[in-house]
Amino acid sequence: MNLAIDVIQALLLVAIAPLVSGVIARAKARMQNRRGASLWRPYADLLKLFRKQDLVPDTACGLFRLTPAILFAVTVTAAAFVPVLHPSAIFGMSGDFILLVYLLAIGRFFLMLGAMDGGSSFGGIGASREALVSALAEAPLLLALISVAILSHAVSLSGMVLCTVQQYPFHLSAVYVFALGALVLVAIAETGRIPVDNPSTHLELTMIHEAMMLEYSGPSLALIEWASAIKLTLIMALLIGVFVPWGMATSASITALAIAPFVFVLKLTALAIAVAVIESSIAKLRMYLVPDFLGMASALAILAVAFTALMR
Amino acid sequence: MIVAGFCFWRGDGLALDLSRLTPFPFALTVDRLSAFFLLLICAVGAPVALFSSSYVERHYSGAKADSMWLLLPLFLLSMVLVVTASTAFAFLFGWELMTLLSAGLILIDGDSERRRHNIFIYLLMMHAGAAAVIASFLLFLPHASSLDFTSMRAAAASMPAGLRTAIFLLSFVGFGTKAGIVPFHLWLPKAHPIAPSPVSALMSGVMLKTAIYGFVRFTFDFLGGGPIWWGYLVLLAGAVTGLLGILYALTEHDLKLLLAYSSVENIGIIYLGLGAALVFMANNAWAWAMVALVAALLHALNHALFKSLLFLGAGAVSDAAHTLDIELLGGLLKRMRVTGTAFLVGCCSIIGLPLFNGFVGEWMMLRSFVAGSELPAISCAIILPLMAGVLALIGGIAVACFAKVFGIAFLGRPRSLAAEQATEVAASMQVAMTLLAASCVMIGIMPGMMVSPLTVVARELLHTPTLPNAALSISHTLPLIAACVGVLMIVVAGFRRIKRVTPTWACGLPALDSRMQYSSAAFSKPLRKTFSRVYEADRTVDVLYANQPYFPKSILYRSVRTTSFERSLYRPAVDAIVNMATRLRKLQTGNMQVYLLYIFLALIALLIFMRFA
Repeated sequence: MNLAIDVIQALLLVAIAPLVSGVIARAKARMQNRRGASLWRPYADLLKLFRKQDLVPDTACGLFRLTPAILFAVTVTAAAFVPVLHPSAIFGMSGDFILLVYLLAIGRFFLMLGAMDGGSSFGGIGASREALVSALAEAPLLLALISVAILSHAVSLSGMVLCTVQQYPFHLSAVYVFALGALVLVAIAETGRIPVDNPSTHLELTMIHEAMMLEYSGPSLALIEWASAIKLTLIMALLIGVFVPWGMATSASITALAIAPFVFVLKLTALAIAVAVIESSIAKLRMYLVPDFLGMASALAILAVAFTALMR
Repeated sequence: MIVAGFCFWRGDGLALDLSRLTPFPFALTVDRLSAFFLLLICAVGAPVALFSSSYVERHYSGAKADSMWLLLPLFLLSMVLVVTASTAFAFLFGWELMTLLSAGLILIDGDSERRRHNIFIYLLMMHAGAAAVIASFLLFLPHASSLDFTSMRAAAASMPAGLRTAIFLLSFVGFGTKAGIVPFHLWLPKAHPIAPSPVSALMSGVMLKTAIYGFVRFTFDFLGGGPIWWGYLVLLAGAVTGLLGILYALTEHDLKLLLAYSSVENIGIIYLGLGAALVFMANNAWAWAMVALVAALLHALNHALFKSLLFLGAGAVSDAAHTLDIELLGGLLKRMRVTGTAFLVGCCSIIGLPLFNGFVGEWMMLRSFVAGSELPAISCAIILPLMAGVLALIGGIAVACFAKVFGIAFLGRPRSLAAEQATEVAASMQVAMTLLAASCVMIGIMPGMMVSPLTVVARELLHTPTLPNAALSISHTLPLIAACVGVLMIVVAGFRRIKRVTPTWACGLPALDSRMQYSSAAFSKPLRKTFSRVYEADRTVDVLYANQPYFPKSILYRSVRTTSFERSLYRPAVDAIVNMATRLRKLQTGNMQVYLLYIFLALIALLIFMRFA
């Protein structure tokens, strides 16, 4: 029973990911006084891309084609870490947050390499900027999760979620606020949203993630697009699970399990709209201000860790 | 190697006493710690020897080949001697031999002015380090009956605290010099890159680890830990070394120089683990001290494997493309599949990606840092978890650094004719690299096979029953993750069969050439700019204008990174020594009568000293 829910929730994350992108795009369109495309448009895009030919640059070698497969496989595996419907997941107990963070790094590393295999300068631009962002984002991400791990006396994501869900919202330690602040900033950087990166840009001055996948086409591009949507969704699910997990099925009763998916989708929609609001109201940062942005995240994360020790 | 494996897994001690054959006490003992390092030497030594067979054939002939084949096994033997010695004399004999033989091996490639200067610095710093090591051995003397390891261990327990601290500090500096911790790392990027590639592999992969062995032997085995600030000092050294090492590595374009700096970084990571272990020991948290110690030792082994792999890969690249400047390489993976793939495995391991061996040690270290939050002392509970952030930052910059190395050197378009004409190296070189790469992946997916025997080593050092279960969970999870990722990749690969090769998109221009690709310097620019305070680059831009101010005729750009240590630490020290030497020179008049006077005065001084002492 438990394993079935684990598998279902991992599949749910994978399946729902394009919809999240759709919701964000629609909400942004509404804020710009446009009607916007259908919510299901990302699925149609993926289907279209999967039917197309895979074009490979003549400079590229096997690694270029391997990269989307690695990225997708690693991201889906990472999705199996996050508790969504109940405080458990396939790798929720045995795998800890350190493993999750480093798993996501695999995909990033190979995406950088794939970008540089194209032999054009765009790939290099994207990879170099991604290297800057990911180098500085890893420390605050890990530190913020560490402070949560210390507060909940657990290193597994299941343990962290279980600790939060069993408390009343106002009984939570105040340190969670610092950790949440740091994690939100890092999540923006990690998933390549405004103000760090602009997912809808096609200007070389501003591209990071888009520049890295410029040479990809057809099914490979579909895999990369889908993987980045999954990554966005799983980081949102992680934020929901660690900071506002209430509504999850803590018991095995049918009603609790029936309610949980609706509550989760509701929370996810709210987060997606929040992302759209941020993206519509803030300008993208200059490239060399990104380290300051991540420095702020690091400062919050360091405070979170220090306060967990001071407030024992 | 068989002996090492046998002792490591069975744990039987092995002792060899040769004192009767030598004028000094000279004995060898293999306990579990020695066996582990013996295994490390052999695991790297065998593939390196295989690689050298064709390397020597291609590069050297006659006397040079002979001296290479004479010195290389002797160098390996000297390191074996260091880790198995059980008397101070045998240890120091091996220690000095190791330094001299490696200097000899570097000299095989010629002795230009620059190389001599580098070797001089290498030997000078090694001897300063050795002096500290000898001093720390001698400090045992008042309490130990003799300088064999058993009596030293017994004596350490009854020593006064001040003496123990002195021994700790001296061994920290002595072994730290050999290991290359900042600020004693100066020799490392000078000596490693100029050695022949197999020798660099041995120096970076194994020789640095003998210093780790020495430090563990002294601090953990003899002294059995100490006050908490010892741990903080080692943690600080590890953090600074790791961060500066990787930041310097990031800016280098010479493949071997970059790898040498990355060795500095990895030594820093090992020291972070050792420091955490010392902090836990001072708090009597023995179980987690064990985790941190196992993590540090495991990372030492992992670093030996992947760094020698990367240095051998660099050797193969310089063989095929005749250059190590990555700005002139590119597209090598297409031309050298085996070397390229092995090098990629090395890169993935060194940046600590899961499913490769580098991750396992770092994971255990991070787990122990998190566990540090449960220590009673507030300072420990804050500092240890923050060290996880330092380790993550080091890891993040390492990702950037090795994405640069692999992306520029092995992917994209070749940047020079030599790189375009590169072909795969000899079969025995390929086999050597494949062996090392395979062991990296094997430990990465099934870490249990190294972790559990290492636990036994740590148990012998710390006298603690066993590892906390939580620290072993990774060995069950990683195979599952590997299977999961593997299955998903196969499923996904089925989606895309049709493939068409097209030219890279060139924005509508006729064609791209290799000069339009991102260069290594451009790739690291954002991070260099972010950490510009660390680098203190001296930049000069000379622009020569023809007629108009907007169309320069030529632009000359020069950027030199002076390491601030060289400027602010070593330069004054060297100046002071030279200054003192000039003053002392006045004593040397060259007059025979004056020298006789010196002897006479010395005699009188000695007589007076003997009368009152």
